[in-house]
Amino acid sequence: MKAMVRALAVMIALAVWHPGAAHAQVRAKAEVTCVSAGEKLHYDCIFTLANARSGEPISGVTLSVGADMPSMPGMHNAPPVKATEQPAKGVYTARLVLEMHGDWAVRLDLSGAVRDRVIAVLRFEDDQVTSIKP
Amino acid sequence: MDPYLVSVLSNTGVISFVALSAYLLLLTGEVSFGQQAFFAIGAYAAGIATAMWGWPLALALVWSAAAGAGCAALIGIPTLRLHGVYFAIATLAFAEMVRILFELLRYRVEIDGQLVGPDGTDGFRDIRYIFDNNIEEFEFLVLIYAVLAIVLLGFMLLERSRLGVMFRMIGGDATLASLQGIAVARYKVLAAGIAGGLAAVGGGLYAHLTTYVEPRIFDVMLGVHTLAYGLIGGLGTALGPLLGVAIDIGLLESVRIFAGYRMIIFGGLVALLLIVRPRGLLDERAVHKIGQLLRRATRGTASMHDSTGAEGRTKGGLQ
Amino acid sequence: MIDLVQNTIDGIMIGSSYGLLALGFTVIFGVMRRLNLSYGPTIMVGAYFGTVLYLDYGAGLLAVAAAVVVGSVIAGIYVERLCFAPMKAGAGIASMVSSFAIWMQLEQAAILVLPRHTYPFPAIGGGAPIELGPFFARTDHLIMLASSLALAAAVQLLLYRTRYGLGLRAVIANPVAANLVGVNVKRSIMLAFAGASAIGGVAGFLVLAVDQQVTPMFGMWATLKGLIAMIIGGLGSIPGAVLGGLLLGIVEIHSQWQFGPQVRDLFAYFVLFTFLVARPGGLFGRVPEDGLSNRA
Repeated sequence: MKAMVRALAVMIALAVWHPGAAHAQVRAKAEVTCVSAGEKLHYDCIFTLANARSGEPISGVTLSVGADMPSMPGMHNAPPVKATEQPAKGVYTARLVLEMHGDWAVRLDLSGAVRDRVIAVLRFEDDQVTSIKP
Repeated sequence: MDPYLVSVLSNTGVISFVALSAYLLLLTGEVSFGQQAFFAIGAYAAGIATAMWGWPLALALVWSAAAGAGCAALIGIPTLRLHGVYFAIATLAFAEMVRILFELLRYRVEIDGQLVGPDGTDGFRDIRYIFDNNIEEFEFLVLIYAVLAIVLLGFMLLERSRLGVMFRMIGGDATLASLQGIAVARYKVLAAGIAGGLAAVGGGLYAHLTTYVEPRIFDVMLGVHTLAYGLIGGLGTALGPLLGVAIDIGLLESVRIFAGYRMIIFGGLVALLLIVRPRGLLDERAVHKIGQLLRRATRGTASMHDSTGAEGRTKGGLQ
Repeated sequence: MIDLVQNTIDGIMIGSSYGLLALGFTVIFGVMRRLNLSYGPTIMVGAYFGTVLYLDYGAGLLAVAAAVVVGSVIAGIYVERLCFAPMKAGAGIASMVSSFAIWMQLEQAAILVLPRHTYPFPAIGGGAPIELGPFFARTDHLIMLASSLALAAAVQLLLYRTRYGLGLRAVIANPVAANLVGVNVKRSIMLAFAGASAIGGVAGFLVLAVDQQVTPMFGMWATLKGLIAMIIGGLGSIPGAVLGGLLLGIVEIHSQWQFGPQVRDLFAYFVLFTFLVARPGGLFGRVPEDGLSNRA
C-alpha cells in the first residue's frame, strides 16, 4: 500500500514538474529479421540493438520481446519472451510464437543498462517475414 | 510484479475508459459504434503534447480530455435528431472518417535531430514520455488506476445525483422525459461530451503506455468491442462495463490454447447474452437485488422483520 | 472530359455491385425493420466456401458461384436464427448489436479456415475490354452490371407480381394484420432472409470474380458498401438500393481519381454521414415514424 502511494506521488510529481523529453537518455534502435522456424506460426528472430545516435551496439541489456496486432490492440498478442544474447555485440535472438499471420508490431523492451522500447512493424506470412516500417 | 501482468492490467485499465464512454451513451439510450474516434483523438492529442510540444503529462491528459469532449459535443449536435439504428451508423461513419483523417495527418517536428510526430498510415511512434522521465511500468499502472478510480467515483456520484437520474430517464423514454420538462437535447450533448472526454483520457494514457499508435488501431472492431463490454457486463452500474472488460481479457489470457477462437467465443457470448439478458449481467435488476442483499447483510437479524414487510411491498412493485 | 465520362462509366460498373449488396440489405431491413450487420461476413463465408472448392477441388465457375450462394444462405440463416428470430418485437438495437458480434465471430472463423491475406478467385470473361468509342468497359464489369440490373428487376417482379411477394409486402406493412389474413409471417421472414443472403452471394461472387481475389477484409467491406448505398437510396426501397449503389460508385471513382483511395473512403463515409443527418430517408425511402429507437 505504502509503495503504491509513494509511486503515485512520484508519478504525479514527475508528471507536473518534468515536462517533455530529457536529453541524456540513451535511445535505442533495432534491426529485426525473422525467418520461419519450421513449425507453423513459429518464427526465429534476430535483433540487432544499437544506440540510435552513435550507432554503437548495445550489449548486456535484458531484452524482452512481445508482439501486438496493430489492428486489434490488446486483443491478439504474443506474450513476451526473453531474448538470448549472442556473442556478437548487440545481437539477440528469440523465438516468436504468433496467433495468426498478418501485420504485427513487435515490441522490444530493453531493461537493465539501458531502458527503452523499440517497435518494429513486420508482416508475418507462412514462408517469409517482411518489414513494413524499419 | 511480473511485467507481463503489469502490461495486461495496464491495457485492461485503459480499455475500461472507452468501455465506460460507450456505457454512458448507452445510459442515455443511444448505441454508439464510434467511441474509438475519441480514443484516437485523445491518443494523438496527448502524444503530440508531450512528444512534440514538451508538455507535462498531466497537462497533456487534460488537453486530450478537452479535445475529446469538444469534438464529441460538436458531433453530438447534428446527430441529435437521430435515434437507434441511424444514430449508430452515423457514429460508425464519423469514427471511420476520423480514422482516415489520421491516416492523412502528417505533422512532424524535429527534436534532437530526429523527426517526431504522426506520419499518416505509419502512425505516431516515439511517444517516449515514460522513458524520458524514468517512470516505471508499475508506476504508470498506478496512475492509470488512480485516474480510473476517480472516474468511477464520478460515476457513483452520478448515479446518486439528479443528473444521473435524468440521463436514465432520457434513456428510458426520451419523449416522456421531454414532456416532464427535461431539456433532452442539452443533456444528450452533455452526455456525449463527457463520454468523448472519457474515451480521450483513455486514449492519452494508452498512447503513453505503448509509446506507439497508428490509425489501424482505432478501427470499428475496437468500437464494437467497447460497446459489447457494457452490454455484457451490465448497464446497471459503472462496474458493468469493467466486468465486461475483465471477462474479455480474462478469456483472452486464460484460454491461450484457444487464443485463435477467442473472437468466436466472445462474439457468441455477446449474441447469447443479448437474447437472455439484453441489459447485461449486472443489469438494473441484478444491481438492485445485490443492493438489497448487502443492505440486509449489514443490518443484521433485528431488521429482518422490517425487510420482510418491505419485501412484501416491493414484490408487488417489481413485475 | 473523356476522363470524366470514363470514370462515370467505371463508377456505374462498380456501383452496380454496391447496388446488389444494398439490395440484400434493404430486403432484410424492409421486412424486419432491423439492420443486419453480419450481412457482409455471411457473404464472405459463402465466398470462402467457393474458394475452397476452387482451390482444393478445381471446381468450375458455375460450381463456385453456386457454392458462394449456398454458403451465404447457410450463414445467413445461422445469423437469422441467432440474432433476429429470438429477439422480441422491440429489440431492434439488440439484434443489430448481436449481428455485429456475430460478424466478429464469422470473420475470425473465416481467418481460421483460410489464414492467408489473399486467395485467388476465378475470373469471369477475360479478354480485351470492349471499346465504345473512346471509352473502355471490361467484359466482366459489364456482366456484373447486367446481372445486377437483372437481379434487381427480378426482385421487384417477385415482390409485386407474385403471391409470395404480396404476402411479404403485407408482412412489411403490418405483421400482425398479415398474420391475421393467413400469411405465415415467420416463414416469409426466413425466406426473405434466405433470399437476401442469396442475392448477397451473387453480388459477392461477381465482385470477387472481377477482383480475382478474396481477402478476409471482404466481409467488412461488403457490409459497409451495402450499408452506405442503402442509406443513400433509402431503406426499404429496391430501386433506391440500386440507385444508391450506382451513385456511391460514381462518387467513389471520381474522388479516387482526384484525390486517391483514402479520400475516396473518406468521401463515402462523409456522404453516408450527411445523408443520415440531413435526409435519413434517403432518396426514395420513407423514414419510419418513430425513427428506430429502442422502442421501435
